Amino acid sequence: MRKKKIAVKALYHILVIVFGLIMIYPVLWMISGSFKDNAQILRGTLSLIPTEWKLSNYPTGWSGFGGTTFLTFFKNSFVVTTVATLGCVLSSSLVAYSLSRVQWRGRRFWFTAMLATMMLPAQVIMIPQYLIYYRLGLVPGYAPLILPYFCGQAFFIYQMMQFMQGIPRELDEAAKIDGCSKYRIYSQIILPLLKPCIVTTVIIQFYWKWDDYMGPLLYLSRPESYTVSIAIKLFADSASVTDYGAMFAMSSLSLIPVFLIFLFFNRYLVQGIGTSGLKG
Amino acid sequence: MNGNTAVAGKGRLYRFIHHDNTVGHIFALPFIFGFVMFSLIPILMSLNYSFTDFSLGTKQADYIGLQNFARLFQDEVFGKSILKTLQYVLISVPLKLSFALLVAFVLTRPTKLVTLYRSLYYLPSLVGGSVAVALVWKQLFARRGLFNAIALSLGLPKVNWFGDAALAIYPLILMSVWQFGSSMIIFAAGLKEIPVSLYEAAEIDGANGWQRFFRITLPMLSPIILYNLIMQTISAFMTFTQAFVITGGGPNNATMLYALNVYNQAFKYNKMGYACAMSWSMLVVMSAVTLVIFKTSRHWVFNEAES
Amino acid sequence: MKKNRVIHVLLTSALTAGLLAGCGSSAAPSAPADQTAEQAGKAEETAGEAETEQEPAEESAAAGEPVKLRMAWWGSQNRHDKTIAAIELYESLHPEVTFEYEYYSFDDYFTKLNTLVASDQVWDVFQLGGNFPMYMDKIHPLDEFIASGVVDVSKISESNLKTTQTTEGVQLGLTNGINTYGIAYDPQLFEEAGAVLPTEDWTWEDYQAAADKITDELGIFGSSTFLNSDFIAGCSTFIPQQGELGQYSFFNLDLTGMGFDDPAMLAPYIQMRADMIAHGSYPDAGASAEVTNIENDFLVTGEAAMTWVAVNQFPTIYNVCQEQGRTLALAPLPRVEKDGNAGATIQSSQMLCVSEDSEQKEAAAAFISWFENDIDCNNILQAERGIPANEDVRAALSANTTEGQKIMYDYVDRASKLPMPEEYNVLSPDGQNEVQDNYLNYIQQVASGELTAEEAAQKTYDDASAIFK
Repeated sequence: MRKKKIAVKALYHILVIVFGLIMIYPVLWMISGSFKDNAQILRGTLSLIPTEWKLSNYPTGWSGFGGTTFLTFFKNSFVVTTVATLGCVLSSSLVAYSLSRVQWRGRRFWFTAMLATMMLPAQVIMIPQYLIYYRLGLVPGYAPLILPYFCGQAFFIYQMMQFMQGIPRELDEAAKIDGCSKYRIYSQIILPLLKPCIVTTVIIQFYWKWDDYMGPLLYLSRPESYTVSIAIKLFADSASVTDYGAMFAMSSLSLIPVFLIFLFFNRYLVQGIGTSGLKG
Repeated sequence: MNGNTAVAGKGRLYRFIHHDNTVGHIFALPFIFGFVMFSLIPILMSLNYSFTDFSLGTKQADYIGLQNFARLFQDEVFGKSILKTLQYVLISVPLKLSFALLVAFVLTRPTKLVTLYRSLYYLPSLVGGSVAVALVWKQLFARRGLFNAIALSLGLPKVNWFGDAALAIYPLILMSVWQFGSSMIIFAAGLKEIPVSLYEAAEIDGANGWQRFFRITLPMLSPIILYNLIMQTISAFMTFTQAFVITGGGPNNATMLYALNVYNQAFKYNKMGYACAMSWSMLVVMSAVTLVIFKTSRHWVFNEAES
Repeated sequence: MKKNRVIHVLLTSALTAGLLAGCGSSAAPSAPADQTAEQAGKAEETAGEAETEQEPAEESAAAGEPVKLRMAWWGSQNRHDKTIAAIELYESLHPEVTFEYEYYSFDDYFTKLNTLVASDQVWDVFQLGGNFPMYMDKIHPLDEFIASGVVDVSKISESNLKTTQTTEGVQLGLTNGINTYGIAYDPQLFEEAGAVLPTEDWTWEDYQAAADKITDELGIFGSSTFLNSDFIAGCSTFIPQQGELGQYSFFNLDLTGMGFDDPAMLAPYIQMRADMIAHGSYPDAGASAEVTNIENDFLVTGEAAMTWVAVNQFPTIYNVCQEQGRTLALAPLPRVEKDGNAGATIQSSQMLCVSEDSEQKEAAAAFISWFENDIDCNNILQAERGIPANEDVRAALSANTTEGQKIMYDYVDRASKLPMPEEYNVLSPDGQNEVQDNYLNYIQQVASGELTAEEAAQKTYDDASAIFK
């Protein structure tokens, strides 16, 4: 009996690991590419071990362009991403609360509007949006990259609404009888119970913002203000020479912050099912 | 249900502040502001463009009535792109969600290694549409790539993935399924929210693993499933990067996803007006699909708050 | 009720200001109500706003009005570093001029340019390539500066100047590098396969025969493909190669219609291309998709014996192949008839232009002139953008060229001595991209038997003439 249990356990671990390695093969390939020269990368070998280790990709890539190094780009990315993520969590939870827990006129309309914001392709909204930020005098600058995140992001508003549905309404009712206002119900009951959802928002939003390059491309102009995502693209040009090694090196480095954020916040998601769940 | 009874007898200002209409508006204010400024106005501008021959680079745009919309019906590429996009959505979304749910569920077992495992499975989602991943993806499916090497060693014929119009979409679908990380994390958070007491009760009642999954996990998770379904459907409709960097829409437009088509019309062929008309037509299709999902959701989504 | 609303507003704003500092503070200058009905022509006022922003903030110590120039280009790391070094040299020579420069990859550059066009903020000095007809409204012609002597064209030949002129002779910019198409090939592979080497006057039949032979003997592609070269260097060159010199061209000279009447003139080329794909001597759609960059072109990877090149790309692939121990050569485009027209033309790879939005047009033009003509500057740039149009610069640079560059210089010399029509088109009409993409799809359909070459020729002709409707 016990033997069987161990066998099942071992099988579980082996399957998960083997499959996981297949999953991350392309990522490993990119990281190994950061130690290869262009010829090795482009020859299309699928081997992960470079025939010749080229460590110089890192210093070459890090030196950036015309004196602006990746230190600057990483700093910029970090500031923009952190502020936008904070803004997104705060504003999205506010909006989600109003749409899921408060009975007000216009609720349905705004809910529909929220979903609609995600259905028009960025390609046709891009130019009009640019014109608006431009009229507001916010271009070039970081404001257009951050401001919208303080206005709630549909993806996360809706996500939080769905999580709030799982919170029993009796909690609200009980709090109301105790004399709690809606404002206090939000901050003292709903928000704490929303923790897992907020953690996922932070993980996902941080990565999205970190990876976003259309925004920085449109709204930043001086190279010193570029973010990592657009700096990486500066290595590539289809019509001339692209230093793939340096590009992969910087791409690999740019994975580190998002991965650390994931590792840090993931702890809150793995404490086992329901151990800190609802006590309703 | 209105919060007004509880605050009866207090001052007018107090009553106003705590009236549901006020509370709702105040909490939703960031969104209302952002929506009007950064979504509504651009959306209306694009609607306006869709009735013109607006092209970037030139200043003069003339109203041409419904001509852009009429053209859509004669545009072979547009017709093809709609069909291909539907195929992409219908295959990739269910696959991605089942996979994300499966992995999230398997990785909730309270082992110390779960953090490591989950990182392993989340990592692919962190590389997004990076050039490196596009390159490796291309090479995996290339004529001499890994998949063909495996096929050859198994004695199967070589497959020309990106050259065969019937097959070219599958590498793109696979790439989308591969990046299931964000859905997985949302599922993981949802699983964590399910009260452990429910499982304990079920165990006492003698329910086995499968019964617990279908009787407790799935219904309790259904609002999150609905959420992931809607969001992934919308984002699958909007998929752009994979097609742009891997196939460029080819061969013979077999991977011309709708967002790529819009991009080409707007920027490559310089027909912004037509691109806007395209987007608006697709908006109608997408709203219809979303509405259908919502309507059917009443039958399968379990709502804790209303029960 | 009214009072309530006021309180509502006050409360609302107070709360949001407190909760969401970022959002509340910028809420004030909201967009004008008529913005929804925004029409492109209305944007003049914004140009005014832009001017005030561009006013140089600090006084320069040097004599002369301080000038701040905004400039942008696309390219890769190498070009970015070289161009920035050249700009810094200019700044040191002209202390009153400071630059704010931006650089991007090709696609990003045009995305960014499009938004700047929409908001009338195009950089003072900007780079444009073959797609410049799309931005004609934003280009400030250089003629007045040439007349006043700000821009020096004395060392640039008439034909090189022509590469960046409209059909009416308006000078849109100065080319950064003159360019033409050719076929790069590996003679070693030709010999191994026993194929006949290209000559100065080889025909498309020779080309096809060599390619097929190489495929049969070596099992590799006879020719590779790169992006859209097949349309520009192949299909659209095929037309002027027929008839008398200057009788036909793909588009007519003033870009108002087609330059030939009979779609059947295209059919042989399309048939050849489809036959080659069917034979395996030219990449099909799947294989073409694997070529992402000039450096992993099948010629470079050894999977093909020749490929199309815009000749400014030749030194790059020459060097890469040299590292592998292979020596490439450069042949002219094949012709329809051995003694017929060459059909090749000298073009501009890219040019620098002054923008119509610029407040510093003269300073911008002066910089462009320096960038074009100054030998020190071009010693930094090292002809990375193509062959310099200025004779003196070319002479100075050719003193220390690499082998690949030398082949390129010789090739362009020979190409420019070939008989060319009095007038030819250096421009392509806005809309050519769509014709090109459709054309490539038609070829695939011919190869798979869905269309005949005649039908594909007719469809391509119809697509192209639709541009002018």
